[in-house]
Amino acid sequence: MDSVQNRKFVILAIFILVGMIYVTRLIYVQIFDEDHKKWALTVSQRSLRILPDRGVVFDRNGKVLVKNENSYDLCITPADFGEEDSAEIGQLLNMSIEELRAILNVTGIERIVPQKAISGLEIEEMESLQHQLIESEAFHFIESSKRVYPGRIAAHVLGFTGIIQPKQLERDTANYYREQDFVGRSGIEQVYEEELRGLIGYRQIIKDNKGQEKQLVEYDTAIAGNNLTLTIDADLQEYGEQLMVNKIGSIVAIQPQTGEILSMVSAPGYDPNLFSGDGLRKNYDSIFNPKDTLQTSKNKAIYNDTYRPGSIFKLVQALIAMQEGVIDSTTGFPCNKIPMNCHNHPHPSNVKIAIQHSCNPYFYNVYRRLLLRGERKSHFLDSRIGLTRWENAVRSFGLGTAFETDIPGVKTGNVPDTTFYDEEFPRNKPYGRNRWAFSMIYSNAIGEGEIGVAPIQMANLAAIIANRGWYRTPHFVKAVGDSLIKDERYIRKNYSAVESKYFEPVISAMESVVVNGTARNAQIDSVRVCGKTGTVENKSFNDHSVFIAFAPREDPEIAIAVYVEYGTWGGTWAAPIASLMMEKYLRQIGSIQGARSEKSLAKEKRAFESVILDKNADIR
Amino acid sequence: MRTSGRLDIFPKRIDNLMLLIYAAFVLLGLLTIYSSAYTADLPSLFSLEKEYGKQVLYIGISIVVGMIILLIDGKFFINYSYHIYGFIILLLIAVLFTPAVKGAHSWFKLGGFSLQPSEFAKFATTLAFAKLLSSPNRKLTDNKTRFYAVSLLMMPAVLITLQPDPGTVLVFVSFLLVMYREGMSGIILLLGLLVAVITVMTIFIRDSVLLWGLLQGPWILVAFACMLFAVSIFVIRKTVRKRQRKTQVVRAIYVLVITVVVSLSTKLVHEHVFSDRHRDRFDVILGLIDDKTGVGYNQAQSMAAIASGGIVGKGYRNATLSNDQFNQVPEQSTDFIFCGWGEEWGLIGSVLFIVLYITMLIRIIMIAERQRSQYTRIFGYCTACILFFHFLINIGMVIGVVPVVGIPLPFFSYGGSSIIGFTILLFIFLRLDSERMDVLR
Repeated sequence: MDSVQNRKFVILAIFILVGMIYVTRLIYVQIFDEDHKKWALTVSQRSLRILPDRGVVFDRNGKVLVKNENSYDLCITPADFGEEDSAEIGQLLNMSIEELRAILNVTGIERIVPQKAISGLEIEEMESLQHQLIESEAFHFIESSKRVYPGRIAAHVLGFTGIIQPKQLERDTANYYREQDFVGRSGIEQVYEEELRGLIGYRQIIKDNKGQEKQLVEYDTAIAGNNLTLTIDADLQEYGEQLMVNKIGSIVAIQPQTGEILSMVSAPGYDPNLFSGDGLRKNYDSIFNPKDTLQTSKNKAIYNDTYRPGSIFKLVQALIAMQEGVIDSTTGFPCNKIPMNCHNHPHPSNVKIAIQHSCNPYFYNVYRRLLLRGERKSHFLDSRIGLTRWENAVRSFGLGTAFETDIPGVKTGNVPDTTFYDEEFPRNKPYGRNRWAFSMIYSNAIGEGEIGVAPIQMANLAAIIANRGWYRTPHFVKAVGDSLIKDERYIRKNYSAVESKYFEPVISAMESVVVNGTARNAQIDSVRVCGKTGTVENKSFNDHSVFIAFAPREDPEIAIAVYVEYGTWGGTWAAPIASLMMEKYLRQIGSIQGARSEKSLAKEKRAFESVILDKNADIR
Repeated sequence: MRTSGRLDIFPKRIDNLMLLIYAAFVLLGLLTIYSSAYTADLPSLFSLEKEYGKQVLYIGISIVVGMIILLIDGKFFINYSYHIYGFIILLLIAVLFTPAVKGAHSWFKLGGFSLQPSEFAKFATTLAFAKLLSSPNRKLTDNKTRFYAVSLLMMPAVLITLQPDPGTVLVFVSFLLVMYREGMSGIILLLGLLVAVITVMTIFIRDSVLLWGLLQGPWILVAFACMLFAVSIFVIRKTVRKRQRKTQVVRAIYVLVITVVVSLSTKLVHEHVFSDRHRDRFDVILGLIDDKTGVGYNQAQSMAAIASGGIVGKGYRNATLSNDQFNQVPEQSTDFIFCGWGEEWGLIGSVLFIVLYITMLIRIIMIAERQRSQYTRIFGYCTACILFFHFLINIGMVIGVVPVVGIPLPFFSYGGSSIIGFTILLFIFLRLDSERMDVLR
């Protein structure tokens, strides 16, 4: 049976069988083997993202506030990391051993891909590191760019960029970002992230087995982000920051007709360049330090919304009272220092005199009339109705509500309403429904009590009075790219509950305050300044010095609020600083010509040199 | 049948189909080598600085050598078989004293070129082997003949092992198939298969544990073989007549002993003789390791190249892995040349290649079988089986069914010694075939 002759068939069968097995295997490998197809793409191709230039940010006059500068990123290829002592490298790179390990312990194909370890190195830093790491093949430097803030101003406004947080990466459904990407993390950088970031480009390349680019397959250019023009006036901003050196507080200046924020200072400030590139990682803790009593990281102009408005609130009280008809501009009340104390001043026989001398009993009586209208027999019920009406009117001045605007973290402040006294105040044991009345809450009359405002709201109040009754929401953006912003939120006029005719007596009073009242320090030669000082009481420390103003009286160009914490009297610190700011701006736009007065220069010198950081110092 | 006087010096009855297939492989191989070296600023095809340029030269030499062989009377090869064999054995000894290149003493350096005598050992051994088996009174059932035959194979095999060049050594196994054709018992092939299966299984299950740690690795196989043995004894008792029982039981014992010995010795060899490199290659093939960037790199890269070709391929000179400038596939133009072919021409190309190759093997067997001369027939079988083993190992390696072993693809791969050696082998056979009508030798 097994004739040797027939063995040729066995051998032919073996040949054909192996041929068929290999054909089958090739069908599998070349059609169905996704694992190796994917591997082929992984090792031979790479899609390189080309990061676009982030948009440049200009001030209202075209000065650069934020731009980009070349920098270098250090990348580590884990597969090439061999003999090096990781503790030593960590120290050299200023990285914790955990951070370094996280990079070195990646798995799979990532091991042969350079991993970004440090971003935004200056050329000198790069050269120094390159010199020290020259022994190892694992380290590479690639060019990138970082944000630079040439004026070193407006840190709180502009914000900073930083490596994207895991949570934001999760929310990024459009799949724009990758790990280690830089995004705007606060301020303008955050709010206008989408405008600034641009469109990512791609380079599809073929690489060799060492990962070196060898051939370009496809190219998709990156499109730079839109430039942004802000309403900020860089010179005014810088001046404000200089004036506020060695002080705690804030300045907000607004162009009243447009709601454009000309300047927003929060003191103490810091150099925004601290956080650019790799700086955020290195310097974050030094600024965002919970033990920092000066709260350097906070933008006090919007963040501190628990300041009581103090005497400044008398302006609002007077306006609402006239509108509601409970007084008219000629109504007088005796200054009997009951139930609130007052200083000695002429009889407040009308609204103007009352404001000019900031008479406490006068506004006690005004507030009493506002709250107790005599519509109910019970004081409790009557106060309830009165409070609701008053509260609605107060809110129309932009108080107690957060502006819908491009300032991240803008806060509401507090205007007490019925719910507040029913359920929230006092915090440990709220009054309860119908268990409070005017007699328990009258300190609101003079801006103490439970009213809380942020400096930006006070600046806006100045703008409302300057406009005789309306405001445009304060905002930072003027133009995106080449097109002026046409956002309904910023164009709409928001009318206060008070008609414009009631503003004149108040404005006259404000001018008197500057001319011969508490804010004589705020005078500017040849300009009619209107202002009102405030003193925010602090129980165990010096009071805060507050001043709001606008100028010129007719056709106002600037409205401003200045807070100098622990500065005691509004007229001592806040008023002169506000006047210097206004003068600076008015000179800049050409409203004031000629040389500056001796008085102005002296004020400036005094502001530059004074240090008000001690909460109890005698600084009169 | 004489047509013209011009080609009179060449023998009639040269097998044209074989010449055609040979020409196809050589040409397609050259095109693939050219493609893998292709860049936009390529020097001319004949530049001797590039592999394809040298290959053109080697092909030229091969054609000249082939034509010379066709001019030489077949008697010359038959008569001088042992002399040629002896000369190559001397070369194989001499080459061991050359300086090592990449850890192997395999090359004679001659100027810019190098000669690899093991490539010539194949046809030389074939000559001697055919001569031995075709001698009168030599039968493979006879122990003395078997001894001579195995010795004839072992001599070059051992010398090549000393280089070391395991890939080429493996090719000598192909002579077993020829011996089978020439009358050796088929049992030996089956036993060889059994050994191979057990070896692979032992490695595959080396870390497996059964029965709560009682049985581990090869002992599982041993236990399994014992159980099988017990069952077969039982079956033999029930079914086989008493007189034949003894032979059957002896066979069963053989199988048992081989299983136990191979399994246990595989474990020993695998653990103590194999270097890590070899162990890893087996483990990668068996899927025990998936380490594409480490020990499985070569195979992963070659399979990636082939897989990325898909059905129709990326087109000529469009390979993105099998190209020198990307350097993704190791030994691109020699051992892994099939990657470039598969990547550029896809499944269609690779299936055509395999069909053509198997056609060539079948054709050689058909030619061998039409011989009246035993010498020529044996020579033909040797040629077919050597080419088959190269195919089996080389293609198997690049498509991931055989561990990585350095061995060229005949006629296709870059390399002077390889292409010249195979040309000599094939053309001696074609010359011998052309004399098939002559008197019986």
